[in-house]
Amino acid sequence: MLEKVRDLAKRWLEDKEVDVIFGLKEQDGYIAPYLFTDASELGNLTISTQCRLCYTCRPSKENILSLMQRKEPNTKIGVVARGCDERALIELAKRGQIDLGKVKIMGVACTQDEAKGCKCERAYPNNLVLGERVKGVSEDENVDALLNKSLPERLTFWRHELSKCIKCYGCRNVCPMCFCKDCKMEQEIYARTGWLPPEIPMFLFIRFYHVSERCIGCGECEKACPVDIPLLTIFKLLRRDVKDLFDYEAGLDAGQESPLLTTLDEAPMKEEVTSGV
Amino acid sequence: MVEFEPRIVGFCCNWCSYVGADLAGVSRIQYPPNLRIIRVMCSGRVEPEFVAKALSSGADGVLVLGCHIGDCHYMYGNHRTAKRMAILKRILGYLGVDPSRIRLEWVSASEGPRFAEVVTEFIKEMKNLGPNPLKEVKAC
Repeated sequence: MLEKVRDLAKRWLEDKEVDVIFGLKEQDGYIAPYLFTDASELGNLTISTQCRLCYTCRPSKENILSLMQRKEPNTKIGVVARGCDERALIELAKRGQIDLGKVKIMGVACTQDEAKGCKCERAYPNNLVLGERVKGVSEDENVDALLNKSLPERLTFWRHELSKCIKCYGCRNVCPMCFCKDCKMEQEIYARTGWLPPEIPMFLFIRFYHVSERCIGCGECEKACPVDIPLLTIFKLLRRDVKDLFDYEAGLDAGQESPLLTTLDEAPMKEEVTSGV
Repeated sequence: MVEFEPRIVGFCCNWCSYVGADLAGVSRIQYPPNLRIIRVMCSGRVEPEFVAKALSSGADGVLVLGCHIGDCHYMYGNHRTAKRMAILKRILGYLGVDPSRIRLEWVSASEGPRFAEVVTEFIKEMKNLGPNPLKEVKAC
């Protein structure tokens, strides 16, 4: 599998289909994103679920690809993308962060074990080039456990979980969809400087809402959290809800605009708007 | 025992609901005094963060009032509110706050009696629901 990826990347570079290959590089046992410009380096190209490819740089708060594209607007970039990477690219293009016309995506499917490890619902890219589509993980014990709780029980549960928050901003920093220059989570009114834990549930609510309809379900926030707050539980439920309410799923079609940015005529909502949910 | 008096925050849009509230006042229609009105230019200005902040600061209920669909002064402001509030309610439900603490209603400028009716009914519902559980969180 890995050999196939390397061969194809080499062919793309040699045939001048792309100018550079953006992928993960393994060196001395560490894995990090790397821009391959020469075919001879491709022996180190790897695919892994350990490292994000499509991350937002801090503190400039710009996606790595949009930074590259601003510096070199005419370079054609080949991206070795897993399912979540591809969805991130599509969502970023939809929101004007990157130019998808200058990006060629090499979609690589994850294995069943990798999908299980990430609790991924959709472990393959839309535009699949290599690998086989494996079944996603639809069951999640955290989600079921939360749904079985009554409202006061849920509040007790989240009060406990959210009071662990140390306000490290890891979930926001790692999220490929969090690229706002002015982040609400940094505003004094929502997160007072020097106060721990942050206001419950205000602080993380901001992220829950802002990422709700753009969440690609990569699960990086939950992996990044140093105190193990089950963030993915909420995002999984919200992805389900957005699909249910608007029949929309993030990261599938670059031409389909987010339902929260369009009118009710363009993207109707399922239920009667005046009645309660 | 003193009866529980809920504190309600109401976001009213400048063009319809606020005028509707004004009409209710001018017409001397009686409704309970538990509502604190915040005037916004459009119901589309109401960010879900405002609602969440109101609830986490101790409001027992939040009422978001805007123009009827199709009557928005800014064409599509209330379309967005409708969509946002639907998602907001889901999130609050998962976090353990009763989604019925938030209500989105359309009240036009000529609907003074309806404004009073909506407010009275909402306050009655909040009275039955009891105090907002997030208040205790704030205290500790």
